[in-house]
Amino acid sequence: MLLRRILTALALNLAVAPAWSAQLDENVQTDKNVLERGQYLARAADCAACHTEEDGTPYAGGRPIETPFGTVFGTNITPDKDYGIGNYSADDFYHALTEGELPDGTQLYPAMPYPSYHSIPREDSDAMYAYLMSLKPVHLKAPETELSWPFSMRWTLNFWNVMFAGKDTAEAQQQFDQWKRGRYLVDVLGHCGACHTPRNVLGAAQSDKYLQGEVIAGYEAPSLTPEGLARRGWSPEALRTFLREGRSAQGSMSNEMYPVFHHSTRYLRDEDLNAMSLYLMGENPPEAHVVEVGDEATADSPGRRHYLNVCAGCHGADGDGIPHVAIGLQGNSTLRLQNPRNLVKAIHDGIEARAFNGFERMQAMPGFANELSDQDTAELTNYLRQTWGGLETAIDASKVHELTQGD
Amino acid sequence: MPTRALSVTINGKLQPVEDIPEELMMLDYLHEYRNLTGTRYGCGQGMCRACTVIVDKPDGSSEEVRTCITGAHFFDGKKIRTIEGHAERGEDGELKGLTNVQQQFLKHFSFQCSYCAPGFVNAGTVLIERLQRQPVDRSQLESVISEALEPHLCRCTGYVRYYEAVRDAVLETSGTIAGRD
Ligand code: FES
Ligand code: FES
Repeated sequence: MLLRRILTALALNLAVAPAWSAQLDENVQTDKNVLERGQYLARAADCAACHTEEDGTPYAGGRPIETPFGTVFGTNITPDKDYGIGNYSADDFYHALTEGELPDGTQLYPAMPYPSYHSIPREDSDAMYAYLMSLKPVHLKAPETELSWPFSMRWTLNFWNVMFAGKDTAEAQQQFDQWKRGRYLVDVLGHCGACHTPRNVLGAAQSDKYLQGEVIAGYEAPSLTPEGLARRGWSPEALRTFLREGRSAQGSMSNEMYPVFHHSTRYLRDEDLNAMSLYLMGENPPEAHVVEVGDEATADSPGRRHYLNVCAGCHGADGDGIPHVAIGLQGNSTLRLQNPRNLVKAIHDGIEARAFNGFERMQAMPGFANELSDQDTAELTNYLRQTWGGLETAIDASKVHELTQGD
Repeated sequence: MPTRALSVTINGKLQPVEDIPEELMMLDYLHEYRNLTGTRYGCGQGMCRACTVIVDKPDGSSEEVRTCITGAHFFDGKKIRTIEGHAERGEDGELKGLTNVQQQFLKHFSFQCSYCAPGFVNAGTVLIERLQRQPVDRSQLESVISEALEPHLCRCTGYVRYYEAVRDAVLETSGTIAGRD
């Protein structure tokens, strides 16, 4: 019996010990539970989205990230000694993760969300470190990042302290555990604010406008405030479904949010997704706004004609979509954004095909830049937003031109 | 269902103007109203391109359009070519000659079940017409052909034979390769 236990323990240890003999800091635990926890935390922190090139080896770096100041490349965070984090101690890793400073004193660009990661507790950092150090080292150098001034300046180190996430306010301390967990996942690990918070001209997040929406790589990362979400038809349940499945009645993951789903949110446990929804929408979430569809949905108009010509084949004449193929448009969140940017750009540029959980997928949507003039696109946009988005405002051709020029 | 008048030129002939449902897709119009069944219904979702027709634009250029996901009224006032419009026919409908693309497809035994064939014929034709307007360097030819044929799916996987047929058709057509004639 004892022998069997020893053998089992040995086998378990063999199974979880890193096979690559990376120089792991000896203070860091590497048992199976820690590694699993580290993997879960790394997923929740969405490290892979930025540190994995499209179709590349996980965490080996090289993914280009567009910023208004130039292109930043995700670095190699496998245990490779030359190009990765192979020579980092657990201290070094914690310092880089939470302060944005490398062991040699190099300041990381704020595209790495260390302002959000600032509140990651040491034990979580150690678990992530242990997990990353258990990966196979990949000997691959990520392209050099070259940014214009002022991003090379060290003052960016202090970004974190203007962020809500970095401060454990008295109000936060009084909250209950599920809310705190939600805040940790949203504000800290998930660093949702990195994309969804407006930035000033120097690229610093505006803490007084936390999660109120910002334009990233040409598309709007919309407001995640309770009011903003409810106005676009989100309920906590719909949010949870969206994060776990990549799609819901409100639409499907696209643009910069797709990698977040693909590498991160689909792995999160239901209780964590619940905590995130609770934190984002509050204990008493505002009622999700429902759009009433009126007669204009079927009445003849230039916008309706464009819709039938180029959209209805996939999205249905009534906007219901085709299950497993094309999303429905009734109540779709993108149609309900005050700013028409995302809708206009989707019509103009199209959307890539996307695979979701299970065998679920959405097929590619073609762009209609060659089929529709700016005037046509404006008419179609107005029809969609007014009919199924519940918005009153209309845009004209010049707005379409402004949003799509340079594409 | 509301209807609207549609006026379209198909294979060089202006079709009788008639009221058709405004929600009708072009593929159904071709099949049900014009009895032109050579345009295939494959996936019905814009994925396989079996349903492709050619639109001839006023500036002399031509492009492929998928008819399963495009409303019939999108083609109002436009000129299109379907697979039935390629071969040359006499007054009585008798076959007079095939296009170079069609001949090359036969020569290379490209068709198997032939379900995808109309789409490939249209794709090859549009490519050659484009190259005649904008010739490419010989070194670019392979990638240009791949790019043009890639979106078309062939369930019988006759890709290589389609590819080779189109390459021969391009090379036999004057003015498609820069600096050569
Ligand atoms: S039938 Fe139209 S693309 Fe497949
Ligand atoms: S020949 Fe059969 S589908 Fe292409």
